[in-house]
Amino acid sequence: MAVTGRFVLLVALGVVPVVLAGLTAADAAWLALLGWLALSVGLGAIDLSLAASPRRVALVRDLPPRVRLGETVVSKLTVTNTGERMLRAVVRDGWEPSGGVVGSNRSAVSVPAGERRGIRLELRPWRRGDRRTEHVSIRSAGPLGLWSRQASLVSPGVLRVLPPFHSRVHLPARLTRLREIDGRTPLLVRGQGTEFDSIREYVRGDDVRSIDWRATARHVDPGGRGGAKLMVRTWRPERDRRIVIVADTSRTAAARIADEPRLDTAWESTLLLAALATHAGDRVDFLAWDRRARARVTGATGPHLLARLVDAMADVQAELIEADWTGLPAQVRRITSRRALVVLLTTADAPGTARGLLSVLPQLTARHTVIVASVLDPGTVADAANRADVDSVYLAAAAERAALDGDRVGAAIRRSGAQTVSATPQELPPALADRYLDLKATGRL
Amino acid sequence: MLDRTPGPGPSTTPPTPALTPTPRALLRRGRTWIGLAAVLLVGAAAVLAIQGGIRSSGEVLGPEDPGQLGSGALVEVLRDHGVAVHPTRSLDATLDAVDAAGGDATVLLYDEFGTLDRSRLLDLVDSVEAGARLVVVEPGFRALEVLAPGVRLAGAASGAISEAGCDVRAATQAGELSDGQRLMTIDEEAAAAGWQGCFRDGDFGHAVAVGPGPAGDAGSASDAVSLVGATTAFTNDRIDERGNAALAIGLLGATSDVVWYLPGPSDADAATAPTLGELTPGWVSPVLTLALVVAIVAGLWRGRRLGPLVVERLPVTVPAGETRQGRARLYARSAQRAHALDQLRMAAVWRLATTLRLPRATDVAVIADAAAGITRRDPAQVRRLLVEEVPADDAALVRLAAELAELERDVTEALRPDDDAPRHPPRTPDDQPGRQP
Repeated sequence: MAVTGRFVLLVALGVVPVVLAGLTAADAAWLALLGWLALSVGLGAIDLSLAASPRRVALVRDLPPRVRLGETVVSKLTVTNTGERMLRAVVRDGWEPSGGVVGSNRSAVSVPAGERRGIRLELRPWRRGDRRTEHVSIRSAGPLGLWSRQASLVSPGVLRVLPPFHSRVHLPARLTRLREIDGRTPLLVRGQGTEFDSIREYVRGDDVRSIDWRATARHVDPGGRGGAKLMVRTWRPERDRRIVIVADTSRTAAARIADEPRLDTAWESTLLLAALATHAGDRVDFLAWDRRARARVTGATGPHLLARLVDAMADVQAELIEADWTGLPAQVRRITSRRALVVLLTTADAPGTARGLLSVLPQLTARHTVIVASVLDPGTVADAANRADVDSVYLAAAAERAALDGDRVGAAIRRSGAQTVSATPQELPPALADRYLDLKATGRL
Repeated sequence: MLDRTPGPGPSTTPPTPALTPTPRALLRRGRTWIGLAAVLLVGAAAVLAIQGGIRSSGEVLGPEDPGQLGSGALVEVLRDHGVAVHPTRSLDATLDAVDAAGGDATVLLYDEFGTLDRSRLLDLVDSVEAGARLVVVEPGFRALEVLAPGVRLAGAASGAISEAGCDVRAATQAGELSDGQRLMTIDEEAAAAGWQGCFRDGDFGHAVAVGPGPAGDAGSASDAVSLVGATTAFTNDRIDERGNAALAIGLLGATSDVVWYLPGPSDADAATAPTLGELTPGWVSPVLTLALVVAIVAGLWRGRRLGPLVVERLPVTVPAGETRQGRARLYARSAQRAHALDQLRMAAVWRLATTLRLPRATDVAVIADAAAGITRRDPAQVRRLLVEEVPADDAALVRLAAELAELERDVTEALRPDDDAPRHPPRTPDDQPGRQP
């Protein structure tokens, strides 16, 4: 049960009879007060007894399953009045605050008996993951609008909010570069996965090592002065390479750098690299890992890959636990037994936290090409440059210490055979994509 | 199967199940607690009904009060011996009661909060001069000034007092008093005016003072005013100790009427003004009550939530700069200047080595000399800056840190191409992508 503002007004209007009665005698004023209160409560009770039951309502929810973060969707709720009375109700849909209801979450509807009405709510979620609503609350007022009946009905709804993929603005430039690499046939460098393309005549500047002597011997030009032309083999860039992206979802991923958690940066990097690699014809597998696999996307190709990636990433959040890297080589082996490019999106900035990673890196680098991508904190550089007073000098010293630690860990990673990519949150996705293109151009995938 | 009906009709659609329990379900679920609450309420009411009659009001020297500090016992004894005790709470009622007794009455005055002002005390004195007796328990400063000039408060007694030491009848009957007395001194003028002290405690003073009142003339008896320093002799918890009861009964039982006067709120100064209720029209109080009801109803209106609270599941996020700031504060708190400067130096030397294109393993002295050479500085000074000098205080630390930054900047400047040369040379065809050299 609930009272309305109209009832408050009704009670407050009692001041008129009370004062009028009080002009003659104090006792009459008290009697008028009691009488007015009794009248108000009586009217309210009659009103309540005439209100439609909020329980005799059927709810149907119409909701798109997923939306990209920052976009708006419309959630429709159909309210069917199954009772015999007119339902005059205020309806509140129980969305989480991060579900991002645009405007007021309360809608007034009047549903005659046996009919139904739709309620439209605009949602603009402001947090990634599954945004839920569990219930719908209905407050049904009587014909006088004094007292109301209220009940919450079970009506679950889930809206999956996908990562925004802001870094897709970098994609056209990288695709152009990819086409340049692709178009630069003949590629004279031979690497694993490169394919034989053609045999053509030697021109000055070609690598002499790529001269195919057997073809030269076969290809005798009868009209030529020297009798024979030098022929070179050319190769197409590598295709159908395996890329395994492993995102670390442990406690280091929870750190917020430049107002973006490391995990979100990892998602952006993953999406950009996956989009690029799909265009380049490589196969991408994804694994979100801390002590167990939080999300896994394997075997998806083409346009399905990105859709499955964002779906898998949507509800993964950083956990406040230490990552267990010892299980990682086995996970990678389960994904692919071939040589692959393994991208570790993690944080390697302190010797203490990187010890686990360093201990398993040799196992990975023995079989695969490994890139360790980590987010740099731009605040470190800014702090290290500020030497205005004592406190900022101490802060600069701490920042330099952190940077030195990061350098040491980076050096250790490179010694164990892996490559490192470090950049600020905004720059990490394009930097990682560029490193991938470099590897591809030099045939080292 | 195709849905041919235009929509689910009300008869076919089952209502959505509700989270909120119905009132009946609520009652059924909570019946244990409702039963318990009812039992507790009934029990509390019963206990209240049984105890209500003998409940202590907690008032000191309350005439009907059976509590520790009340005086119910004394009043009962007095009444058993035929003394009529009239409890009063205001001066007017007191004077009326004295008049009703024909002027021959004993007034017990215990003014716990010093409510009575000078004029009201003088009214009491008038009644004394008309023949009444006055027993003042624990007189305050103002009461002593008006009733017994020359008698002053003198602190607490050191213990029980075992000798009356005066010829007042009530005191000699009592013979001794328990401890917990408070003392008064009587100066020579007061003694000359007829005041005498009883129950002397060494040289400190007397627990009881008896005298003729402020006028000291023949109009009143020589024991018309009795001052008792402490309430000890009258309270229920201590009246049975030593001669307390004898003193109390002796002081109060001399007349057939006792007016038990505990000044109340109406004796305060403002009491003579008309009350608020008398000044306002009759409808004001009902309207105020109505306003209260409206406030409560408005609270119900605004306070009733539309549905249960929704929980937001917040992800964990940690500000990344925390460890850095924590480490900086550790340095600062332990004043690790040399250590902090070492960090800056290591980073600077590393960057200098990179800028100067020297191998990472180069000795720092070589790097210092190279930096000094390129910036045309004194090599010894640069070496001192990069390695040797130990900062003595915070100012030195800040200066050295700034100098390090300056050295790095100078080296970078010195290695940069001359300013008149273009910063970004125009692209040569060789730079174009897609072409092998």
